[in-house]
Amino acid sequence: MAHARANKKWFFTELPVIDYGEAWDLQVRLVAERKKGVINTDIVLLLEHPPVFTLGRRGGIENLTVSKEFLEKEGVSVIQVERGGNITFHGPGQLVVYPIVNLQDARLSVTDYVEDLEEVMIRVAADWEVIAERNPINRGVWVDLKKLGSIGIAVRREISFHGMALNVNLSLTPFSWINPCGLEGIAVTSLEQELGQKVSMDQVRQRVKHHLETVFGVELVPKSLSGLRA
Amino acid sequence: MKEISELILPDDLRYAEDHEWARVEGDRVRVGLDDYAQDQLGDIVFVELPQPGDTFEKGQEFATVESVKAVVECYLPVSGEIVAVNKQLEDSPELMNESSYGDGWMVEVNPKDLSEMDTLMTSTENLERLKGAE
Repeated sequence: MAHARANKKWFFTELPVIDYGEAWDLQVRLVAERKKGVINTDIVLLLEHPPVFTLGRRGGIENLTVSKEFLEKEGVSVIQVERGGNITFHGPGQLVVYPIVNLQDARLSVTDYVEDLEEVMIRVAADWEVIAERNPINRGVWVDLKKLGSIGIAVRREISFHGMALNVNLSLTPFSWINPCGLEGIAVTSLEQELGQKVSMDQVRQRVKHHLETVFGVELVPKSLSGLRA
Repeated sequence: MKEISELILPDDLRYAEDHEWARVEGDRVRVGLDDYAQDQLGDIVFVELPQPGDTFEKGQEFATVESVKAVVECYLPVSGEIVAVNKQLEDSPELMNESSYGDGWMVEVNPKDLSEMDTLMTSTENLERLKGAE
């Protein structure tokens, strides 16, 4: 599973809660700069989003089970994006990881890459003694029939963007307003829900960093946003 | 993933940087994804194709293919008008894996300028640059 490549580095940028559209613009810019060689290193962004529903390339609005008026009242918007997968929810307390990786240079197939992202989430969950697994129903990671972490990526000129979202300690209520991933009859869970006790987002961020390094065989080099291009 | 030496890259095709192939057939150019792309993508589960009559410049996004939770953009290797799309891919997207140069073709283009074919890579050139990326 691990793709050990000696001396391989990824730039690593931690952001606080950042608006979905803003992070999306940032990714698109970084993808273009990575392709052009303005940035010669793969990058990973760690962040959280304010509450938002996003739809995959193939849609998923039919899996929204409440009215748009209701969402407006709740102040949650719905955004159509280019990633794979169906409808999902992001909100504070869910750790979002956006690696911007040149898959061709890394000699990674899309399938291997998705499995590696799943592996990171499985190992993080194991650090809290939560047993998360892959499930043939749908990609991402599961605790029994409850979804703990999701994956949706897009590949533009060999550069992968979007990524994965791990439910740490967010309110799960908004997931009840959709059929998550376009699937009926499944539930969503979080690390905190599984453990029945507080889970620190800071600690989860640290463990995600660690497992990104071990699974992908890279060293994460911290950079500020402006430092990425330097 | 296949080793570079295992890739099938027929000599009678031309190749674009992002792994589209192009083949002149009469006054049309047929387009698909090469063996490297289908192998890298894994099982293709959905293909979004343009409509006949749509026109694109060389290098513009004309289609997307989706495998496991991943959407990959495809770029037209020559400028022109789409004159046919492979409707079989709607129900059988796996044809792109099983027969990437045959039944898994994506579109046919009425090319604006056939000399654009000369700007694409030959099989040998494609192989060399993939070896360089190893």
